[in-house]
Amino acid sequence: MTMFDVTKPETAVDQTDIKIAASNVQVFYGDTQAIKDVDVDIQDKTVTAFIGPSGCGKSTFLRCLNRMNDTIDSCRVEGRILLDEQDIYAPQVDPVQLRAKVGMVFQKPNPFPKSIYDNVAYGPKIHGMARTKGELDEVVEKSLRRAALWEEVKDRLDTPGTGLSGGQQQRLCIARAVATRPEVLLMDEPCSALDPIATAQVEELIDELKQRFSVVIVTHSMQQAARVSQKTAFFHLGNLVEYDDTNTIFTNPQDPRTESYITGRIG
Amino acid sequence: MTDQTNNTGFDWASPSFQSHMKKRRRSQIQLKLLGLGAIAIAFMMLMLLITSLVSTGYHAFTQTHLKVEVFLDPEHLDPAKPARGNYRQILTDTMKTQFPDVPDDRAELRKLTSILSNGAQFTIRDRVMENPDLIGETVQFNVPVADTYDQLNKGLIDPDTPEEYRRLKNDEIANFELLKDRGAITEPLNTALLTNADSRFPELAGLKGALVGSFYALLTCFLLSFPLGIGAAIYLEEFAPRNRVSDLIEININNLAAVPSVVFGLLALAVFLGWFGMPRSAPFVGGMTLALMTLPTIIIATRAALKAVPPSIREAALAVGASKQQVVFGHVLPLAMPGILTGTIIGLAQALGETAPLLLIGMNAFITSAPSTPFDSATALPTQIFIWADSPERGFVSRTSAAILVLLTFLIMMNAIAIFLRQKFERKW
Repeated sequence: MTMFDVTKPETAVDQTDIKIAASNVQVFYGDTQAIKDVDVDIQDKTVTAFIGPSGCGKSTFLRCLNRMNDTIDSCRVEGRILLDEQDIYAPQVDPVQLRAKVGMVFQKPNPFPKSIYDNVAYGPKIHGMARTKGELDEVVEKSLRRAALWEEVKDRLDTPGTGLSGGQQQRLCIARAVATRPEVLLMDEPCSALDPIATAQVEELIDELKQRFSVVIVTHSMQQAARVSQKTAFFHLGNLVEYDDTNTIFTNPQDPRTESYITGRIG
Repeated sequence: MTDQTNNTGFDWASPSFQSHMKKRRRSQIQLKLLGLGAIAIAFMMLMLLITSLVSTGYHAFTQTHLKVEVFLDPEHLDPAKPARGNYRQILTDTMKTQFPDVPDDRAELRKLTSILSNGAQFTIRDRVMENPDLIGETVQFNVPVADTYDQLNKGLIDPDTPEEYRRLKNDEIANFELLKDRGAITEPLNTALLTNADSRFPELAGLKGALVGSFYALLTCFLLSFPLGIGAAIYLEEFAPRNRVSDLIEININNLAAVPSVVFGLLALAVFLGWFGMPRSAPFVGGMTLALMTLPTIIIATRAALKAVPPSIREAALAVGASKQQVVFGHVLPLAMPGILTGTIIGLAQALGETAPLLLIGMNAFITSAPSTPFDSATALPTQIFIWADSPERGFVSRTSAAILVLLTFLIMMNAIAIFLRQKFERKW
């Protein structure tokens, strides 16, 4: 849609699709407003990074996209968020089903204290996505391959997922998230609890995941945003300050606050 | 003294700082000693309790028996109706043959037969009823001796006491010594303590009725309070909206856990026995009463265990699209189970030792047979201890201590299971 797409030929074809369109989103925790008037269009088969100082609302906004905020009693969301042109906050939408379509990976790896196999198979099982054991095996293998974990764990699928290393656990969580065949993958600081090598592996994986999913990643690290994302949104004090192509944000920010943040003067 | 001032601007070697350090060290040592002292005192108290229980209770774990040849005289026994025989006379005859020198006088013979337990005649009757062909033969029996002679054999009667203050006179002691010299007196393990129900005679009294009664009561208590408690806790912790009503319920549950148990007994007396006309002294009703008491404990323990499951697990399950119910029953509850079981077992152990509510619903009745269903009259272990502690016969002194030891054994076993479960299933995240 813009000339920037020319620089990324592998995604250029699909980038015109808007996967999530959020307009005028406000989030309140009780009386305090955490998100103010956020408008953002998230593209399909793209990695979108949310950056900003601590407490700026980037994680809160991410959690609106799969309605995880519903589980917090005092939280209230206003505005419209469309997933494939359908309002996800419409009354007829079941948040349980939505969360299978919009997968999520958390800051701290949180595998279930079950076997590696059961961790990945859990989602497909509860949604009735696999009718036979063979189908389920196939889903598990495919998901683990997508998370670049298959080769490491294929011989010990029945050992506990909590016994893996931190980086492997996080990839297991990614496998678990992609097993329900989501369309969007939300990642809330997925590498902040990992060492640099595991981080590099997960980043590499994110790059591959964008072939199939729209990936939204919240990160504290601007270097990471620059490395993995094509689009970047800068949040500050609950406002979406600037949203543009990652290159533009980091080389030619329009807003002075963005510039201060990426040059390290605020945050 | 220029070397004392360094670039931090603080003099670490100054006397005031040194004395400050010394004070800190001293208070730390004092705290440690206080803690050790507290533990030592608690340990001494425990040892005192156990020593006193064991030193009086160990007598009850053996029972003096008399080995005696009994001629099953057909004159007093009808093979057609073995239950109706004159067993008392048979015993009198038996003792007469044991002491040929004793004059054939009613009072003297009564003295001789009183060496045997009142239950001896039933031991013989049971054997005859089992096998009526024995009638007319001489059979060897090993029957318990009466409580006073049991005391004598265990050295609990001091022969130096003036005769008029002694429960056994000189001639009675002489008779017993005679039997002892013949090697007819044995002191085997007192299995009756666990296999007999209660009795007026200490040598025959056992805990079977109380054990079965306590088992039925605890079973009823568990079956009622475990599912109800877990259900209530899951609803309150996971599903109930946070508002005034749920706050009120929470406060009341916490208060219920602190209500004295006798109040639950009164409630049970008024409601279960009074309104619903349930049977008195029944372990089932006792179990219902104990369930009222255990319920708050289980609810509180379950809620604490549910709360302890890390939120990351809930989020993980929610994020793959599990419904609230799937999150709770598929992830949170299994992870909380060790904590729930520990709390439940501790609640049940408390219920096992509870006396007051059972007294009020009549579980301190004198019942000489073990209950065959939870609806029959029975006692429970603590109420049995209460009854025995109240009995005047000397033999019940040691039996009370022995019963307390049995109760303590069960309590320790239950707590050990709780600890085992906690260690085995404890998870690290």
